[in-house]
Amino acid sequence: MKKRDIISSLFWFALGGGICYGGYDLEIGTLHDPGSGFMFFWMGMVIIGLSLSIFIPALRLEGIKGELKTLWAGLRWGKVLSVLAALFIYAYVLIPLGFIPATMLLLTFLFKSVEPQKWGWAVFGAAVSTLAVYGLFQLWLGCQLPPGLLGIS
Amino acid sequence: MELLTYLQIGFSVALQPINLFYCFAGALIGTLVGVLPGIGPVGAMSLLLPVTFSASPEGAIIMLSGIYYGAMYGGSTTSILVNIPGEAAAVVTCLDGYQMARKGRAGPALGIAAFGSFIAGTLSVFGLMLLAPPLAKFALRFGPPEYFTLMVLGVTVLIYLAHGSMAKALIMAAIGIVLGLIGLDSISARPRFTFDQVQLLDGVGLVPVVMGLFGISEVLLNIEQVIRQEVFKTSLKGLLPTRKDWQDSAMPIARGSILGFLLGILPGGGGVIASFLSYGIEKKVSRHPERFGQGTIEGVAGPEAANNAATGGAFIPLMTLGIPPNVVIAMLLGAFMIHGITPGPLLMKEHPQMFWGVIVSMYVGNIMLLILNLPLIGIWVKILKIPYKILFPLILLFCLIGVYSVSNSVFDIYVMLIFGIFGYLIKKFEYEGAPLILAFVLGPMMEHNLRKSLIMSQGDFSLFFTRPLAAVFLIAALILLISPLIPWLRKKRKVIPKEETS
Repeated sequence: MKKRDIISSLFWFALGGGICYGGYDLEIGTLHDPGSGFMFFWMGMVIIGLSLSIFIPALRLEGIKGELKTLWAGLRWGKVLSVLAALFIYAYVLIPLGFIPATMLLLTFLFKSVEPQKWGWAVFGAAVSTLAVYGLFQLWLGCQLPPGLLGIS
Repeated sequence: MELLTYLQIGFSVALQPINLFYCFAGALIGTLVGVLPGIGPVGAMSLLLPVTFSASPEGAIIMLSGIYYGAMYGGSTTSILVNIPGEAAAVVTCLDGYQMARKGRAGPALGIAAFGSFIAGTLSVFGLMLLAPPLAKFALRFGPPEYFTLMVLGVTVLIYLAHGSMAKALIMAAIGIVLGLIGLDSISARPRFTFDQVQLLDGVGLVPVVMGLFGISEVLLNIEQVIRQEVFKTSLKGLLPTRKDWQDSAMPIARGSILGFLLGILPGGGGVIASFLSYGIEKKVSRHPERFGQGTIEGVAGPEAANNAATGGAFIPLMTLGIPPNVVIAMLLGAFMIHGITPGPLLMKEHPQMFWGVIVSMYVGNIMLLILNLPLIGIWVKILKIPYKILFPLILLFCLIGVYSVSNSVFDIYVMLIFGIFGYLIKKFEYEGAPLILAFVLGPMMEHNLRKSLIMSQGDFSLFFTRPLAAVFLIAALILLISPLIPWLRKKRKVIPKEETS
């Protein structure tokens, strides 16, 4: 069996069910007066049907055991996780810290994390990039970047 | 005479200094995006969409259009020099372009790619100029059933041409429609799937979804691997093709221009399909098909002409019907709407300066691109050498701030990151994001037209079969959807690379 298709189809089946339920809750209406939930309900049914069309053939296929592991075999998935974590933390601290400190920290981390640069280059690159983006978005385009702790706006 | 008046309006808009600047900026950024693998025209357009808020609607669309056709020009540079396509429509150029570079003929390859793109792009703008007005008048006959079925056909064609499983592409399209409908119901004003989040009352934003699905996820996939790219060291002297090169390339450019333009108009069509079909045709009509894949100039001239001609053709359904035929044009539709303009049959009448200004700017843009692509090739080669470890943090930063600046909302950043994870995972599980985005943009219009149609017919679905145009669109869509069940149709379905989104 092809594990990746089984897992994805089960996910879509559950999601389709949720969408159907949500559409039903919003009221499907009638054919000559479709309600708010009409498209949701029928799209949910389509998703359920399609997920089954992937699930059933996947059960019959002969695949590699532990096939899921091959999706990430030999790849630097740890780097992906660390970058994602950094991005979520950035979003969380952007308003309280402010654009310049938060962005400096993020860029320094990114320059050091995937293919590590020397500290001097990482900090210098982060500073230059932060100031360049600040100049472009805040000063030239007039966007309101969060001032945060430093109060720079 | 009328056409001359329209052109006059167009030139008066396109030649304004600020609009010339936007055209240049779009063309330059588009070329850069095309040169650099890892971010495609959709990602670039979504990054720059917030930047266009301070521009006039004409300036915004001119710049974003420039990114689209600029990317088609730029993609050939990496294909020829590095054997890595800068964007999907340049995949075919790798086959013969890189081989030409290996034989010391990188200059003529780059030259004919640029000239062929210029000729095809100019011809396609000419075609757009001639076809758009009568088509706009014809489109006034379209009612809700025609619009609904045409959108169904557009999404279906994209699903049919998707890489891999049609069922997976259909699921993505269905998810896209659902996502597009989140927010307040346009008729009853009832919140739908907002989970009591005030930020979702206006729906999920296009920019966070696109940037997450194509920008963030692409970066995540790239940093997972170790990318080694070696720029082919060759002399770039002699960019001007020889007389023989022109003789060999003339007909491929002509055929590619026509093919690309027509395919660009079709829903689901675009530069990728056009370039592949052009390559296949040139190989078939050539007296020496065995030379294809070994470095023949026809294998570069035809596909490059086709993918640029497709950009002009793709504007026709957008400008005249308000329906985007592919994902990149769907981004332009989003930009139109953000600037308060609804493209469609009335665009030419109500906003002639926008309509003709954009068309004329494409002429200007093509000239700029020819100038950018030839003398500046040395600079593009240097840019190619920037390591990805330097580029990816900057791409991520632009995504973050670009999304934030749309409505000063951290919520949008979270949405983008969630879609970034979603995009990363769906690619791992062999799903594509393009059908989702097209359906996301079309979903609200599809629902609106479907509900209007059903109200008109009092719930009778036969309306879609009794109106001739709607019937044609719907039957075509049904044939494509059932094609996997028909053996001889299943064989015809070619596997093509992903759309010009990355």
